[in-house]
Amino acid sequence: MKLNENTKLNRTLLAVLAGAQFAFTAFADDGAATNSVTAAPVEVPAYSADAATANPAEAAEITALKKEVQALEQKVSALEQQHAPEQPSAQVQDLDQKVRILERQRELDQEAAASAAKAQPRLTVGANGATFSSADTNFSISLHGWVQVDSRTFGNDDHVQGNDSILLRRARPILSGTLYRDFDFLFAPEFGNATPGAASAATTPSIYDAYMNYHYSPAFQVQAGRFKPPVGLEYLQQDIYSSFNERSLATDLIPGRDLGFELHGDVFGGVLSYAAGIFNGVGDNQRNTTDTSFQDDREFDGRLFVQPFKTSGIAALQNLGVGVGGSWGRSSITNTLDLPNTTGGTLPGFSTDGQQQFFAYNPATGGVVANGTHWRFSPQGYYYYGPFGLLGEYVISDQGVENTVSLATADLKNTAWEISGGWVLTGEDASYTGVTPRHPFDPGNGGWGAWQLVARYAELNVDSAAFPVFSNPATSASAAQAWSLGLNWYLNRNIRVNASYSRTTFTGGGTTTATTAPNAVSSHPEDVFFTRVQLAF
Amino acid sequence: MKTFFKILLVFSLASAAHAKEIKLLNVSYDPTRELYTEYNAAFAKYWKAKSGDDVIVSQSHGGSGKQAQSVINGLEADVVTLALAYDIDAISQEAKLLPADWQNRLPNNSTPYTSTIVFLVRKGNPKNIKDWDDVVKPGVTVVVPNPKTSGGARWAYLAAYAYALETHGHDDAKAKDFITKLYKNVPILDSGARGSTITFAQRGIGDVLLAWENEAHLALKEFGADKFEIVTPPLSILAEPPVAVVDKNAKRHGTTEVATAYLNYLYSDEGQEIAARNFYRPRNETIAAKYAANFTQLKLVTIDQEFGGWTKAQQIHFADGGIFDRIFQPQK
Repeated sequence: MKLNENTKLNRTLLAVLAGAQFAFTAFADDGAATNSVTAAPVEVPAYSADAATANPAEAAEITALKKEVQALEQKVSALEQQHAPEQPSAQVQDLDQKVRILERQRELDQEAAASAAKAQPRLTVGANGATFSSADTNFSISLHGWVQVDSRTFGNDDHVQGNDSILLRRARPILSGTLYRDFDFLFAPEFGNATPGAASAATTPSIYDAYMNYHYSPAFQVQAGRFKPPVGLEYLQQDIYSSFNERSLATDLIPGRDLGFELHGDVFGGVLSYAAGIFNGVGDNQRNTTDTSFQDDREFDGRLFVQPFKTSGIAALQNLGVGVGGSWGRSSITNTLDLPNTTGGTLPGFSTDGQQQFFAYNPATGGVVANGTHWRFSPQGYYYYGPFGLLGEYVISDQGVENTVSLATADLKNTAWEISGGWVLTGEDASYTGVTPRHPFDPGNGGWGAWQLVARYAELNVDSAAFPVFSNPATSASAAQAWSLGLNWYLNRNIRVNASYSRTTFTGGGTTTATTAPNAVSSHPEDVFFTRVQLAF
Repeated sequence: MKTFFKILLVFSLASAAHAKEIKLLNVSYDPTRELYTEYNAAFAKYWKAKSGDDVIVSQSHGGSGKQAQSVINGLEADVVTLALAYDIDAISQEAKLLPADWQNRLPNNSTPYTSTIVFLVRKGNPKNIKDWDDVVKPGVTVVVPNPKTSGGARWAYLAAYAYALETHGHDDAKAKDFITKLYKNVPILDSGARGSTITFAQRGIGDVLLAWENEAHLALKEFGADKFEIVTPPLSILAEPPVAVVDKNAKRHGTTEVATAYLNYLYSDEGQEIAARNFYRPRNETIAAKYAANFTQLKLVTIDQEFGGWTKAQQIHFADGGIFDRIFQPQK
């Protein structure tokens, strides 16, 4: 029993000593830990073997141990006090606050600098040209440009000199932008072949597009200036996206760029596009190059185009679009410019793929002027799905004319149509706005761009009533049929190389001995091989 | 051919008939993030049930003055829910995006909820801050945003100024002296209320934050009630954050109807409950009574009474060269 009691005493003392040792170690290791080490009172449990009942030797030992424990307690207590957490002095607190304030101020300065950077004007340069814009994008100016270097090589050109040529088909710097968020503008002069087919004007700079557009919303926009009237689908497609070097015979009956005002917009998320405008009025395949109207009456042009499945999520139908365009105007008797061509020669008119005139209002006796109403009607549509693309258009151009000598009048109804299709051999999506190569040209890394095969058939039929009072059947063809086949190589979004072949045959037409158009052109089929190198950004 | 056009017509009508997805942009001030996150969800549910259309409300937050300037500069807000009427007036006057009488279009001057300015102090209130006099004592560091950019800061400034006027017999010189002392204690100016809360609560700067009442409650919730205390002074200002449809933007986006409904719904029982839950004082008396425990009663002065309205207050105190510009010197 005594042994047990002594053992218990010894164990208790050892525990006390261990506790004291732990306390020392804790202080020595980590001052911060003092917070968690509580100053637990060291209690010596009441045990039966006290000094009074123990033998003298044991009693002395117990007393000595008690003193030792008390001394240890005092040491522990002193150490605890020594290492107790202290409140930092006011000076330290003050310094701490100053440091924090400086750090926060630096943080705020950085935020302010980042915010100010966001307010700086932006400059972006890329495949779409160079654009400067204000930070809020309410103001922007973009620089774009097109260059097209073409070659035309004719197969049967013995009678018309100078057909085979390398030409700068288009060289057009384009400045566009936005002012006050809602006002867009575009200015595009042409330094290349300003008048297709007109050798004398080949290097004459000319303003092609110059307009401003107020866009209140996508659905409501008003445009004013010189631009393409909203009639023909093929003509409204930007030049750089056309499948072939030249547009088809169908566009011979479409009005070219004109001066006017247009209300237009996209509604239901682009499902329906509309445009309606009032213009000076131009002849078929003519463009208005003057700043004044050449007739008292105006021409009204309009177009509706619907892509019913655009927002449906049905991929196979999303790029199906059908529409109708048209125009109505009245020409005065003094007007000769509202006709595509009245003299023959080099002026644009009803021309072939090779841009050679095959029909003119040039009868054997007298001249011809436009007189009376002139209306056009053009159902049109396209369909694109994956690499496949199809575009078609039919045009009726109904025009009142008068022979200036015989004073005979007629209402001539000329018609034309075309259908063109394409297949992107490398699998990229075809679209109305071109092809974007999946792997831009970079042979070192296996990039060869996109390749597209294209084909087209087109016809133009002149009203039989045009002959012979308004056109000489011995020199002008009464109809033309053209088919074309081509290969387009899109090196990247900006560079494209084309090669195509077109053959145009004629009904009626001139004699083989003629040397001037339209006689020389319509006297035999036209075979022409085109190439083009195009830069567009 | 006729069949083709019939099919086309059916598809066109079908695509036009399905439910619309309407997008709204609510440009608001700094501390309303949580309020409008909850409210937008409730309104979208309400509008879906009412019209069948989906509404997605985007939120933009920042100092009220900065936000107003962004709208003036072209940020296409369908609605603005700003800290004070002056900022919406600026949008009306400078950008003409809504009529000058916009504040008459909704009840309570287009202010569906109110708030006030209180003190957020550190736990135990070591500087013993109980009233505005304690805030201007030397050695007290005050955190408050910049009144040039923050609506809450302008309310805080005016609350202090109003206290000085009230306690010094409307002696303007003494009030100026008081406000000068107050801003001597301000070492740093954030651009918005949320920034100041971060300065005070997260960065550990200052002894007291002059805060929107709802922002102070949010700080307790966010950073812990064991770290901070709200002290409501006996006198403060009745802060009236107004709301308005930005007519021209909404019309342009075709969202006028839904934008108007969005603001009207703030006055509904559900809208008022959401405001109260987010510690904005609701206008609806029944709901205000229900949430009375959230809001300490105090004397609230109004801007019209003390300062003659926002236009005058802005001109005298916060415009370039105004009193604030003259009394505030950034600490170096």
